Amino acid sequence: MDAQTYDWGKIARNPKYLELKRRKRVFLFGWWIASSIYYFLLPTLSGYFPDLFRIKLMGVINFGYLFILSQFVVAFFVAIYYTKVANNVFDRLTEELVAEIQ
Amino acid sequence: MLTKTLLATILTLFLTTVGFAADPAKAPSASAPTASQAVPQGTAPQAAQPAPAASAAKQAVPAAAPATQTKVKPNRAITITMFMAIIGITLCVVVWAAKQTTSAADFYAAGGGITGLQNGWAIAGDYMSAASFLGMSGLISLYGIDGFMYAVGPMFSFIAILLVVAEPCRNAGKFTLGDILSFRASPKPVRAVAALSTVTVSLFYLIAQMVGAGKLMQVLLDIPYRVSVIGVGVLMVGYVVFGGMKATTWVQIIKAALLMSGTVLLAFLVMAKAGMNPFRLFTDIVNNQLIQDHIRLNVLKDALPKPGFDYGQRFLEPGLFLKNPLDQISLGIAWALGAAGLPHILMRFFTVPNAKEARKSIVVALFINSTFFFLINLIGFGAALYLTPQLISSVDKGGNMATLLLAQKLGGGAGSLGGDLFLAFICAVAFATILAVVSGLVLAASAAIAHDVYVNIIKNGKADQQEQVRVARITSLFVGIAAIVMGLAAEKENVVALVALAFAVAASGNFPAVMLSLFWKKFNTAGTISALLVGTISALALVMISPVMTYPQKIADDARKMIVTLEKKQAEGAVLAEKDLKTLEKARADFAKNDGGTSMVGLKAAIFPLKNPGIVSAPLGLLAAIFGTLLFRDRRAEDMFDEIEVRQITGLGIAKASDH
Repeated sequence: MDAQTYDWGKIARNPKYLELKRRKRVFLFGWWIASSIYYFLLPTLSGYFPDLFRIKLMGVINFGYLFILSQFVVAFFVAIYYTKVANNVFDRLTEELVAEIQ
Repeated sequence: MLTKTLLATILTLFLTTVGFAADPAKAPSASAPTASQAVPQGTAPQAAQPAPAASAAKQAVPAAAPATQTKVKPNRAITITMFMAIIGITLCVVVWAAKQTTSAADFYAAGGGITGLQNGWAIAGDYMSAASFLGMSGLISLYGIDGFMYAVGPMFSFIAILLVVAEPCRNAGKFTLGDILSFRASPKPVRAVAALSTVTVSLFYLIAQMVGAGKLMQVLLDIPYRVSVIGVGVLMVGYVVFGGMKATTWVQIIKAALLMSGTVLLAFLVMAKAGMNPFRLFTDIVNNQLIQDHIRLNVLKDALPKPGFDYGQRFLEPGLFLKNPLDQISLGIAWALGAAGLPHILMRFFTVPNAKEARKSIVVALFINSTFFFLINLIGFGAALYLTPQLISSVDKGGNMATLLLAQKLGGGAGSLGGDLFLAFICAVAFATILAVVSGLVLAASAAIAHDVYVNIIKNGKADQQEQVRVARITSLFVGIAAIVMGLAAEKENVVALVALAFAVAASGNFPAVMLSLFWKKFNTAGTISALLVGTISALALVMISPVMTYPQKIADDARKMIVTLEKKQAEGAVLAEKDLKTLEKARADFAKNDGGTSMVGLKAAIFPLKNPGIVSAPLGLLAAIFGTLLFRDRRAEDMFDEIEVRQITGLGIAKASDH
C-alpha cells in the first residue's frame, strides 16, 4: 500500500473533485441507462411485437436482423465515445486534481 | 525443482490417460455418447438446451431428405497431435509463469503486470466459451435468427462493465470481490459471505463446464467420459496451481487467438462460398427447399404447407426457439447485470496496473467479442445453408456439432486431408476454449477461500508472502479436485440450471452489493450481507422450482403420449419400423421409471414459470440491500464513504499489485 495517506474528507470537498464526480456520474449513469434501454428493446420488441421484426427492408433481410446488428453498432459507439471522453476529459481532470493534492 | 517434477507428473498422467483411451480395446465401455448436452454452458445460459422439436422430425422425414450422418468423426491421429501441441505450448507457459510467481499479488493478479491489450484478449478468452462457439452457431443453424439474438446479451454485458464496474473496482479493490465489499464494512462477516457467494457462483459455473467438457471430449476423441473430465481437470489444476494468474491469463490469450483464427477462417470460407455477398447468402437460405422443409415439419410441425406461407422467410423471423418474451427479458437482466458481478471477471481487472488499462482491456474485449459473435452468425447461417438443418440435427439434436461439421465440409469434406485437418483444428480450438474458461474459475474460487477466508479471516491478514502463495496453491489443488469429483458425479445430471443460476446469483447478489458499496454512502455491513444472502437464496430457490429442473412426471407424460401414438399405429395394423419399436420400448421404460416421480425439491411440475429468475431475484437482492442498510445504520461505513469514493473516482491510493 502507498505509504502516503490522504485526507479523504478534504479531497471529497475539493471543488475540482466535485466537478469531476458530477461529470463522471452524469455521463456514466446516463449512458449506462440509455444503452440498457436500447438493449432491452430487443427482447421486448421481438417478443411482444414480432410483426415489426418481420418487415423486410433489404431484399430478404428484415427489420429484426438489422435491429440485432444495430445493437452491435450501439455497443461499439458507446465504447468508442466513452473512451474518447474518458481519455480527453476525465483523465485530464483527474490528473489536475491529483497534481493539486500532491 | 518441485514445480518441474509435478509438471512432469501431470503431463505423464495426461498422456497416459489419453493413450489409454486411444486404444478402444482397453477403454472401458466407450458407449456411443449422446451429444445433446455436449457443449459446456459457458456464456449462453440456455443456449444448448435439448431442442424441443427434434422428436417430431423422425415421424415426417421430407421426401428430399439429404444424406444423414450420426456422428462427427475427427481423424484421431491429427486431432490428438493438435491437442498435444496445445497442451505442450500451454505447459511451457506454465513453467515460465511458475518461476515468476512468488507473491500473493503474482498469484492472484499476475503482479499487475498485464497490459490492457493482453487483458482484453484474456477477458475475451474468458467469455467466449464452447457454448457460444458450438452451441450458438448450432442454434442459428436450426432456429435461425433466435440463435443470433442470444449473442447480443454477452456482447452488451460489456457496456455495464465498461461504464460502471471495471474502473471503480480497479481503483478500490485488490484481488477479490471480498476486498471491494469489505472496504468500509465489518471485514470478517462480509468477507465470509462474499467468499461463500464467490465459491458458489464459480463452482456452479465450473461444474457445468466440466460436464460439458467431458461430454464434448468424449464425442471428439471417442474416449470415456471420466477420462475426459479427469484429463481436463488435471490440466486445469496444473495451470492454476503452478502458474497462478499469469499462466491462466496466457492460456486465455492463446485460446482467444486460436478461437478467433478458427472463427475468422470459417466465416471467410462461408462468405467465399456465397460469393462474398451477404444478400446472396440470405436469399439462398430463404429459397432453400430443405430449410423450408425443416421449418415446416420439424419446427412449426405443419404436416401440410399452409398456402402462401413463406417458410424460408420464417427462418429469419423471431420466435422459433425463444417462446416466452418475459423469459428473454429475465435472461437479459442476468446478462446485463450478472456478467458484471461474476467473480472471475472482476478478478481480471486487478491484473492491470491502473484504471486506464482496465478501461482499455474492456474496450478490446468488447471489440473481439462482438466480432466473434457477428462471425458466429455467419457460420450458423452458413451451416444451415451448406449442411442443411436435417444433417445437423441428425448428428446432434441441439445442433451443437454444426460448427465442427461445417469445418469438415468446408475443409474439403469428410475423409479428405483438408477436411480432417480443419476439423481437428476446430476440435483443438474447442479444447483450448474449455481449458481457459475452467482455469479462470478455479482461480477465482481459490482466491476467495485462500485470500478472504484463510489470510484475512483466520490469519487476520497476517501471513507472509510465501505462506499466502503456498495456501493459494493448496486451495487451488483442492478446488480443482472438488471440481473433478463433482464433474464425474454430475455426468447424468441436468447442468443447464447451474449456469442460469450462476448468472442469476451474480446479478441478484454480487452486482447490487458491488454497485452500492461503490456509489451509496449509507451502504454498510448489514446491506452487503442481506444483498448477497437474499440475492443468492432467492435465485437458488426460484431456479429449483423453475422449468429448467428435471421433472420426472413430465418425462413420464411425454413417454405416455409416445406410447399411445405408437400403440394406436400398431392397433391400426401398421407394422412398426425397427426404429419405432425401439422408441416404443424406450418410452415404456421411461414411463415406468418416471411415472409419479418428483423433481429434486419434490415437485411434479414447475411452479415458477420462467427459466431465468433474474427478473424477480435481482429486484429482491436490491431491495434486501436497501432494507438491510436502513435497518442497521452504521456511522463508520458512512464516514468511510469519502475514502472509497475518492479512491474509485481518482485512483488515489490504488493498490499496486506489485507492492509487498
